[in-house]
Amino acid sequence: MRTQFRYVAAAFGLTASLALAGCAAAAPEVSDSIVIDTAFTLETSDPGRNYVPTGYMVSKALYETLLDFAGSDESTPVAGLATFTQNDDATVFTFTLEDGRVFSDGSAITADDVVFSLNRVAGMTESKANFLMGGITVTKVDDMTVELSTETPSLKLPALMTNPSLAILNSNLVIENGGTTDDSDAAEEFLNTTSAGSGPYVLDRINFESQVVLTENENYNGDEEIDFTRVVIRNVSEAATQKINLEGNDSQIAVDLSGDQVAGLSDSINVFSTPSAQTIFLLINQNSEVGSVTSNPDFANAVRYALDYPGLLELAGAGSEQATGVIPPSFLGALADGVEQDLDVAAASLEASGYDGESITLEYPNDYPVGGVSFTPLAERIQSQLADAGITIELAPAPFTTQIDSYVTGAEAFSIWFWGPDYADSANFLPFAAGQKVGLRAGWTAEQDTDVVNLAAAAENSTNVEERETAFSNFAEALQKRGPFVPLIVPGSNIATASYIHGVAYNSTWTMDIAELQAK
Amino acid sequence: MGNTPRATRRYSTRSPLVGYLLRRLGTSVLLLFGVTVVTFALANLVPGDPIAAALGEGAASNPATVEAYIQERGLDQPLPVQYANYIGGLLQGDMGISLRTTQPVAEDLAKAVPATVEIALLAIIVSLGVGVALGSLAAYRRGKISDQLVRVFSLIGLSIPTFWMALVSFNFFFLQLRIAPGAGRLSPILPPPPTVTGFHTVDSLLAGQWVTFTDALAHLMLPVFVLSLFTIGLLTRFVRTSVLEVLDADYVRAGRAKGLSGSRLLFGYVLRGASLPILTIVGLAFGVLLSGTVLVEAVFAWPGLGSYAYNSATSLDLPGVMGVGLVVGVVYLTINFAVDLLYGVLDPRVRLA
Repeated sequence: MRTQFRYVAAAFGLTASLALAGCAAAAPEVSDSIVIDTAFTLETSDPGRNYVPTGYMVSKALYETLLDFAGSDESTPVAGLATFTQNDDATVFTFTLEDGRVFSDGSAITADDVVFSLNRVAGMTESKANFLMGGITVTKVDDMTVELSTETPSLKLPALMTNPSLAILNSNLVIENGGTTDDSDAAEEFLNTTSAGSGPYVLDRINFESQVVLTENENYNGDEEIDFTRVVIRNVSEAATQKINLEGNDSQIAVDLSGDQVAGLSDSINVFSTPSAQTIFLLINQNSEVGSVTSNPDFANAVRYALDYPGLLELAGAGSEQATGVIPPSFLGALADGVEQDLDVAAASLEASGYDGESITLEYPNDYPVGGVSFTPLAERIQSQLADAGITIELAPAPFTTQIDSYVTGAEAFSIWFWGPDYADSANFLPFAAGQKVGLRAGWTAEQDTDVVNLAAAAENSTNVEERETAFSNFAEALQKRGPFVPLIVPGSNIATASYIHGVAYNSTWTMDIAELQAK
Repeated sequence: MGNTPRATRRYSTRSPLVGYLLRRLGTSVLLLFGVTVVTFALANLVPGDPIAAALGEGAASNPATVEAYIQERGLDQPLPVQYANYIGGLLQGDMGISLRTTQPVAEDLAKAVPATVEIALLAIIVSLGVGVALGSLAAYRRGKISDQLVRVFSLIGLSIPTFWMALVSFNFFFLQLRIAPGAGRLSPILPPPPTVTGFHTVDSLLAGQWVTFTDALAHLMLPVFVLSLFTIGLLTRFVRTSVLEVLDADYVRAGRAKGLSGSRLLFGYVLRGASLPILTIVGLAFGVLLSGTVLVEAVFAWPGLGSYAYNSATSLDLPGVMGVGLVVGVVYLTINFAVDLLYGVLDPRVRLA
């Protein structure tokens, strides 16, 4: 027995030694490397097929687009691989490629690469990013010039050209590996193992469930001067684990910390908090067959003025702001101030609506926090605040995947949802108009408010920036006054980094540009 | 009628064990068929639009794209036909294409399952060793302080929520004490070893990558510790009860009267006699470990079956969900089969002649 015990003890001792040896191996010097923890939304590393945040972050590092944004400023696109001019009607945009730029294999970037890359996305109808090229015609002018044209004015086009899904690929390499400009394209498998771009990094290896490793592009000749030659983007779905990893120096950046979590971080951690581009809002259906009480516009007004917005904002953390309208701050046309609680107006509107004290069901996804804001406490507080104003609410939570169907089909009378832009332009918020995608989800048809329809059309078709800003402001204001939506919170985006890292700039599409990260 | 004697003769020459194995295999195949029916039905009953989830709102609003997608994947077929196609694919090792990863589900699972088996296997070994030792100790020292302590410990192991324990232990051992590595299967600087078994520890040894081996082993420690706590608590209680029953048995007393003591009595008489209920619990616990690691994998950023199941479910990846359901079903059936066979090895009374 004693001998056997010795064997067992020796085995345990050996195991412990190996484990400790492994721990020692787990904390090496990584001065030229950086580890980024984020909850993966990653389906492909083919930029033309990607439509999710982690994929955008990866594509942004591997590829370049015709235009770009400088830092966090998403109001005005700046030169990327090209500069551009437009005609007065905002229907023709001419892009001139920067001289001398090359792909990671050293070959020159030409207009043919641009035409192929953009037409590839336009031709892959099953790609989630396909809609970005809707209505855009691409024409080669010469080896360094490309023309993009639309039937109607499209001032959003420059912003579209910053989207990493419209990255410029090495056409020869992609075509060699199955790339086409229609649904027969078979280059995804190749692009999931090898990058074919001109960005500061190249793809070293990728595992869609665990991590992506990027290394320096030796042939990169763009403007970025990278400090980190090796980047590991790691799938850490649990934000609490991201926080512990960062504090324990196992990672250098945590992307998904909530406001509460960053509040508890030590001084040795830098936190970049900023309002995100997501808007959490209440939907109040205007279709009487879906919601007999909610379809009265006075009811929506009663809810709008009954809520205590600063009270709701307490549930969100650092970087969060009250939503001032359907267009979030930093976007063209965003309103300066949000609605303030006015219980007198709420009471008068409630009386005018004919509400008779009946219970109204509030539906929301209960497993899908947005920017760290969980919908269950938010719904409970809304329930409490509306009860004070005389409106009885019954909560009806459900998982996101089951709840979203009734939202998309316009079958919810009263619900909490969120909206984020697909690309950095205010045109992303025009679907809130009557008769448009989100408007129809609220049972709001074009016939119910032709004035808002016209305001949306004016914003869509404006041909210069000043006119456009006014048009978007008018649109946002009209929705804020009489739309079937009550914007509540713009949750914060919190990116926490080790103290020696700077250069973090939040972007609503690609979260942050890894190439801009610098070591102090 | 003329064939009957020959048939009887042929049957009589077959070993009862072979007959039993064939019957069990047949039952397992039937059960597996049932598992595929249930997973297929449940996956297709879930409310939600997997096509919209797969294509995204933009592409899903284009009827031509949706139609092409539906036809390509045979989603326009009646459910029984889709099921028949699914079974036909399964028989050829094709579990379908994941809507989320766009990769074959079988390939996805081939990466995820070894990651989970690696921690589950180690957890069950640790649990078995510690649980049997503590349970035996408690039984031998029935009513004494050590018995009380073991019972309290096992109760704690059973009661503590795994998710909470994972976070606390990660914080304590990694962040505070700095004696455990961070999350994941390997440190970020290390490339994974060439895949042979999918177990990083084994593959790194096979490749002669000593640093990778020690790193992989170190990363296993905390997840295994957390996963083991519940199983240790469970096993300890069962072992204690089983050993107590056997300790008073005549053959143990006889052995003791003949002068047997120590390890021979414990391993040769007591534990062997108490082994059947322990084996049952170990089998069940292993199944639970394999299929119930979602939360532990989330905390330790472990890219295993639990993470894959969660991601598939939340993105309405029905082929992925069905694949996980099938794997879990196969695991349970295999374990139960193995446990039934081991009954015969451990206890001659249940052996077939």
